[in-house]
Amino acid sequence: MIKLIEKIEGEAKLNFNFKDNKIDFVDIKFMSTRNIENILRGKSPLDALVINPRVCGICGHAHLIATVGALEDCYDDLKISNKAKTIRELTLNFELIQNHFKWFYLTMLPLFGHKQQVLKATYPSQLMAKAIALFGGQYPHTSYAIVGGVVCEITEMDKIKLQHLITETIKFVEDNLVKSENFSVCKNIDNVFKMEGDLPNLLRQIKEEKLLERGKSYDRFIAFGANSYFKKGKSLKTRVSHAISLNYVKESEIPSSFAKNVSYKEKYYEVGPLSRAMINKIPLVIDAHRKYGDSILSRILARVCEISQLLEHSKKLIQALDLSEPSFIEPPVDISQLNASGCSAVEAARGTLIHKVEIENGVIKNYEIITPTQWNLSGGTKDKQGVSQKAMIGLSDIKTAELVFKSFDVCSVCTTH
Amino acid sequence: MIEKREALAKMFSAKGSKINTNRGAEYYDSLMQTMTKRLAELEQTPAASKASIESVLEAEGLTRRDFMKWASAACAALMLPSNFTPLIAQAAVLMNRVPVIWIELQDCAGNSEAILRSDAPTIDELILETISLEFNETLMAAAGHAAEAHLEEAMHTFKGKYLCVVEGAIPLAMNGLYGTMGAKAETYKDHLIRVAKDSAAVVAVGTCATFGGVPAASPNPTGAVGVQDVVKGKAIINIPACPANPANITGTILHFVLTGQVPELDHLNRPKFAFGYRIHDNCERRAHFDAGEFVEEWGDKGAQNNFCLYKMGCKGPMTFNNCSIVRYNSGTNWPIGAGHGCIGCSEPQFWDKYAQERPMSDTHFKAPTGGVEKTVDQFGLGLITAAGIGIGIHAVASLVAAKKEGDE
Repeated sequence: MIKLIEKIEGEAKLNFNFKDNKIDFVDIKFMSTRNIENILRGKSPLDALVINPRVCGICGHAHLIATVGALEDCYDDLKISNKAKTIRELTLNFELIQNHFKWFYLTMLPLFGHKQQVLKATYPSQLMAKAIALFGGQYPHTSYAIVGGVVCEITEMDKIKLQHLITETIKFVEDNLVKSENFSVCKNIDNVFKMEGDLPNLLRQIKEEKLLERGKSYDRFIAFGANSYFKKGKSLKTRVSHAISLNYVKESEIPSSFAKNVSYKEKYYEVGPLSRAMINKIPLVIDAHRKYGDSILSRILARVCEISQLLEHSKKLIQALDLSEPSFIEPPVDISQLNASGCSAVEAARGTLIHKVEIENGVIKNYEIITPTQWNLSGGTKDKQGVSQKAMIGLSDIKTAELVFKSFDVCSVCTTH
Repeated sequence: MIEKREALAKMFSAKGSKINTNRGAEYYDSLMQTMTKRLAELEQTPAASKASIESVLEAEGLTRRDFMKWASAACAALMLPSNFTPLIAQAAVLMNRVPVIWIELQDCAGNSEAILRSDAPTIDELILETISLEFNETLMAAAGHAAEAHLEEAMHTFKGKYLCVVEGAIPLAMNGLYGTMGAKAETYKDHLIRVAKDSAAVVAVGTCATFGGVPAASPNPTGAVGVQDVVKGKAIINIPACPANPANITGTILHFVLTGQVPELDHLNRPKFAFGYRIHDNCERRAHFDAGEFVEEWGDKGAQNNFCLYKMGCKGPMTFNNCSIVRYNSGTNWPIGAGHGCIGCSEPQFWDKYAQERPMSDTHFKAPTGGVEKTVDQFGLGLITAAGIGIGIHAVASLVAAKKEGDE
């Protein structure tokens, strides 16, 4: 039975195979592509800073930061000021936060039979988009990060505006999402069930509809994009190790779909907020995972949790921002003189995003983009299933399968780059 | 030096480069009559969606005053005299009479994203609650087969009346197989033609839908083209930019509600109210350009003092758009405000010609000759090249001048 999955920022085609009234195998296909990697070949490396954010209108900022990181990795002795580093991290945080709001209100709530609450999704997203625009000029599609730093010269005034936008967003969370000041320090999932707000209501509904254990996959997590908040590492059934290398990440083509498979040491891993929370050992998420595993409940909780965590962390980052530092430090040689290769990984809203570049005589020879959705949706075979495929096995109805599928916050736009 | 300045001043204030914002009382009187008549007619037709602006405003705790403030801003954006404000307000109330079908093709969803984050709360309501978005994959409640049926029904019910808004390019290579949708794997090309066929007009939103955009960047692996290359025999309004400014999308729809016609367009089918000026004409850093004060490298004193970005590759003088007035994210900021030059994202082929810090004087890009034409329609690349050269001279002169001052 073929089902089209829409409202995932693009479209995917899922082909469900049933055996004894239970889902036995799901074939996932993406039906469009833009071939951005081909477009980049032969162009000036700096052109990538304009083209790559446009890979995705939803997480384009992560693509910008990943691009600038990959280009900077081509240098041996490039310096970046703390200020520039912090500003890049802040804008990336804001993008993550606004994505999570939209996913929760536009995608998740309607799946549970609630009216789509467009304004609840757009109001906080607008606040966060404004925060990005303060640094980047506009959102979506900014190109304000350049090799060596950032172009914006922000002032104390901008810092005040930014603090205001964050405070307003925190207020929205406390008025709507979780009506409790203790949510960000809560360590026990049972207490969240007792709270008020859109998240606790949804969690209670999951419990009532007996979906608590649904959507379990391999319980294998990975995250590569380290910064002042996220840690790099992998987690296998709560055992966390931080020694991982991009060298073991492999991309392979599938004949039937435009999206490529991604694996780490020949194994499929889940990426996204739940992965990050497991590796960062966020107490509340760890508690939920201990009780309900890598289920839809844990995924939803981890994503919403990340909103609060990143808002609090961003507040601290802004306070520590030293405006007297330079925004830009000139690279030792011009990029048009380079013969080098570089790669970078950042944590985008939906998980690890990897960019790899090869520069020959100052021109891009090769460019590779591995998106978060590729990790989660890698379409495996029956013997070796992808993460989301495995999570849907054994379910008896397609409605629940769609729910499980969307709990990964699928973005086909990136995937069809 | 003074002569050069005067020549430049002349070039940039030439009548041909601007939309005429004062056409005399007679023109505006007759326009007002046309609009009043049209709105009266619209009022008699049934609403395409149930939501009304009054209920939305009330639910959100917004006052009539907020609404009128928005209306006067929208009136200015459409370059109409202020006595049109009540008509704009009335048109906003009647927006739910005009069905909009929004389709996404080979895109990044950036324009949908931009509109979801559009101006102050009032306009959000206008767009999301009262404009009848009959079919938008990201927003609508139905999905999959149900959505397909819904689309068919909307196209049938509002035959000849709906606006078809298109986001994304159309890949034509390999028979269009680089982009298919729906259970029947319909190609984007066929889908577009099918939906556009019975529409009142087609609105191409964003640079992908207008000119092919980033997917069409050299070597254009998927053969991506814009809507105007596929749809024939229909009124097409192009609203380029990456992403298109939500204010211009609402403005165009508002104009359609007001007049039942497409707004005045330039030679690239762009509404003149938004694309009748260059970024450069109204840039907040323009005074620094005129004074010969430029950012010479990233992070220098010039950058810290918001000097002109032309030497860092700003394409403001070559780009027609109203970002410098309308800005982005509810007027929060815009690229030049953040210290990055304009990349010319509302111009055809910006992705190959204009992208990144590449001053025009350094490129091999040769524009067709033609000199300064009289109207925006013929304006095209002629003046752009002329301005480029003029600015080139000016920029060099300013550097020499700056050095001399330093020597003394």
